[in-house]
Amino acid sequence: MKTLRVVLGCLFVAALSAAAQADDFLDQVDEALTFSAFQDNVRARFSGLLDLEEYHFQQPAPGLIRTTSDNLFNPRLTLFLDAQLGPNVFFFLQSRVDRGFDPSDKGAQVRLDEYAMRVTPWEDGRFTFQAGKFSSVVGNWVARHLSWENPFINAPLPYENVTPLEDIVAPSYYGSLTGQLRDPKYQYLPVIWGPVYATGVSVAGRIGQFDYAAEVKNAALSSRPESWDATRIGFDHPTLSTRIGFRPSEMWNFGISASDGAYFRPEAQATLPVGRDIGDYHQRVLGQDISFAWHHVQVWAECYEARFEVPLIGDADTFVYYVEAKYKFTPQLFGAVRWNQQFFADVPNGYGGNMPWGHDLWRTDIAAGYRFTAHTQLKIQYSLEHEKNGPRDLGHTFAAQFTVRF
Amino acid sequence: MRRFLFVGFVLMALSRSASADAVVEGRVELPKSHSAPVMNKRYEIVTKGGVLSTNPPIAVVYLEGSFPKPGALPTRQVAQKDLMFVPGLLPVQAGTKVEFPNLDHDTYHNIFSYSPAKRFDLGRYRPDEKPVPSQLFDVPGLVTLRCDVHEHMRGLILVLDTPHFVLTDPEGRFRLSGLPAGHYLLKAWVDSRTTREHPVDLKNGATLQVDFP
Repeated sequence: MKTLRVVLGCLFVAALSAAAQADDFLDQVDEALTFSAFQDNVRARFSGLLDLEEYHFQQPAPGLIRTTSDNLFNPRLTLFLDAQLGPNVFFFLQSRVDRGFDPSDKGAQVRLDEYAMRVTPWEDGRFTFQAGKFSSVVGNWVARHLSWENPFINAPLPYENVTPLEDIVAPSYYGSLTGQLRDPKYQYLPVIWGPVYATGVSVAGRIGQFDYAAEVKNAALSSRPESWDATRIGFDHPTLSTRIGFRPSEMWNFGISASDGAYFRPEAQATLPVGRDIGDYHQRVLGQDISFAWHHVQVWAECYEARFEVPLIGDADTFVYYVEAKYKFTPQLFGAVRWNQQFFADVPNGYGGNMPWGHDLWRTDIAAGYRFTAHTQLKIQYSLEHEKNGPRDLGHTFAAQFTVRF
Repeated sequence: MRRFLFVGFVLMALSRSASADAVVEGRVELPKSHSAPVMNKRYEIVTKGGVLSTNPPIAVVYLEGSFPKPGALPTRQVAQKDLMFVPGLLPVQAGTKVEFPNLDHDTYHNIFSYSPAKRFDLGRYRPDEKPVPSQLFDVPGLVTLRCDVHEHMRGLILVLDTPHFVLTDPEGRFRLSGLPAGHYLLKAWVDSRTTREHPVDLKNGATLQVDFP
């Protein structure tokens, strides 16, 4: 393992030094991977991202990282296909080779994470229809969740901090939600699981300064990647999500999102109270987002109020938000800071009283990135997390990510 | 009186020798047309139609030599229109200021370059941005323009150390006029990896035919 890391480190340094020379080559690759036919009416382009990530943290691992070690090397190869069929039909596909959808120490796996077809009948974008397995319309983070666009290495708190709620087992007694998280942490749910590449259909469009989007998917916003595929979770209990946006100018973008859908997986049925169905327990989310961009400054913020209907307990509410800013110091160097915070409401503790169903926490992320070329980027990040009465009282996370875009 | 006539004759002769009236014309063999780019619309909630205009390959033919330093050079423009750079290739003389107006309604652009000849990042700017974002290109070389918002956008500025250059037409034909007499190197820039050259001996009033196969 140590030898492997040394070899990978050497490769990384070699890649870094060769990056400038490779830029022209990667431009050629880009051209070579673009195809067209029928007088450019059918065009397709293959592209990709190669990410090499290294994490160092204290156990328990932060967010959705799955490992029992304090260090994790996480390589990831992402391949995209974008195809334009005439002016009205767009098709895209995303496939990954990695150690799991979220960073983990598991073996390599190959997945088809996204595939969708989009029809845009009118040129002005007033209406589009999309079907397939694709990211959620909720919020504003999805547009920058890939490693090249994301100023950070991890996701904001709403998209990766797990709550004490599971989706395969319902709570068996009143106080079960208020205890410590057991290992593996991966069995618990965040408010929104990353970009939520669930399966379904969506409509979207823009009318004047307003834009709208709505989708019907097979799984809730909090659902795990294993639930996103329609062959695993069908449409018996669909989730409806929507976002209304207002853009007074290119500088500002405001949005309100909402989502409602069942969050238990079918395996949980046996653990539910008699006579109840997984469709009886919903996750309801209300969100607000704002973004601002002007010259070299970009600012994003989102807040979510999420309610989980929990057997025996009732409504478990949580509020989570973050504010994130990025600034380009030079054409190639940028820095970013993010403040995240999550609060948990009280639920019955089983002894006649109430107590929070999770540990309130805050996390601050600081990152710096350098683009060596238009195709290579290095990011480093430090995160400090404080969990009230939790195991990550003061958790430190260091991370580095080298990305090649082609 | 004779002295004035003599001075006048010398001035006329000088002005005639300094006047640049040699012409080179010919044809550059151009590479095959590239496929039109495909716009990445995966995570844009609102997308418009997918028509992107094609830009057939063209070349820049220029005369390399030692020429007087220019005075003030006119400002040139590379606009962003329909999510493309217009023109896609702009040759300029070193010392030229280039403006980058955003002509796309309701859309941000963020033009940048990491090319050694010019590194810059204009940040995100609106169509009505005043003053129009600009850069001075004072180092000869090829500058690749990109947009941080629209991944598919690609443009080129070829900064040349000569005032004598011209773009070919899509068939590769060119005509470079107003050239000074003398011995020079005529070059044809075809793409970032291909520059062809041909020594030329220019004479006043004469038209030279040069083809770059």
